[in-house]
Amino acid sequence: MNIEAFQNRVLPAKNKLFRFALKFLGNEEEAKDVVQEVFIRVWNGRDQMNEVQNWEAWCMRITKNLSLDRIRAVTRRQTQPIEDGYHVLHESLSPYESTEIQESMNRIDQFIAALPEKQRQVIHLRDVEGYSYNEICDIMELDMNQVKVNLFRARNAVREKLMKINAYGL
Amino acid sequence: MEELLKKYWNCETTLEEEKQLREFFGANHIPDQLKDTAALFRYFEEAKKKSLNDVAFEGQVLRKVNPSRGKVAKLIYNTMRIAAGLAVVIAATWFIRNEIRDTTPQAVVDTYNDPKLAFEETKKALLMISKSFGTAEEQARKINMFNEAQEEIQGKN
Repeated sequence: MNIEAFQNRVLPAKNKLFRFALKFLGNEEEAKDVVQEVFIRVWNGRDQMNEVQNWEAWCMRITKNLSLDRIRAVTRRQTQPIEDGYHVLHESLSPYESTEIQESMNRIDQFIAALPEKQRQVIHLRDVEGYSYNEICDIMELDMNQVKVNLFRARNAVREKLMKINAYGL
Repeated sequence: MEELLKKYWNCETTLEEEKQLREFFGANHIPDQLKDTAALFRYFEEAKKKSLNDVAFEGQVLRKVNPSRGKVAKLIYNTMRIAAGLAVVIAATWFIRNEIRDTTPQAVVDTYNDPKLAFEETKKALLMISKSFGTAEEQARKINMFNEAQEEIQGKN
């Protein structure tokens, strides 16, 4: 692979890798560093790339491993929500409605952030990034059963919390 | 839709069906009992918009992975510097050589083929020098006399 192919095919995955690293690390600067390191590794290992069936999943797996290395290095667990929260703007909504939506976004973000790591990653890969189960197995280095169990638990944990809010107005 | 949602919570939906759900919840009119689920799907959509906001990022990565372009430029630059240095030295040598050639007489070359004639000419030349020396000695004697007279005067004083 030459530099042009790298630039046109690999670099556009930067946002996906960034979001994935951010889910692990909860810090944009660190996530950016990880993505940069991933690209350097991909470039250095570009000869193996022909053997890799799904290079994007391969990049995601490197992102996961580097993020986990970083977490282990600082022995820290990420539980805080993503720094700046969500700013949802819809012209058709009243200020009250958009504040309400923003609050619910931040709440869901907290629910997901509070999930165990594997569940958090699996729900992100499936519901945000839209990866197939096989790709998630490949990225997370888990078997199909584990992926489905983690996804089931993640979706239902978030659902339960949402239902509780609705029932008790918490 | 209820059926599809049930499948979703049980993780039995395909990617295509999940796309249908996203489209459904992306629409404006959602039944009240599904508002929470709609919020969750809206969250997924919003989360996907999060991007790496750094215009310099790709440039940084490319510089790190492909410093060879920089290396070539450096190599050319250094070669040019060495070449320029060499050019100055060669030019200087050339000018100095020309200068020396102009100022120093040409190497002595034989002017006579006949040894006898050459001997005569040499003798003539030496005689001329000798004559010149003689004249010079005469002049020097005069100066010497003048010096002696001066010393004598100084001695008297």
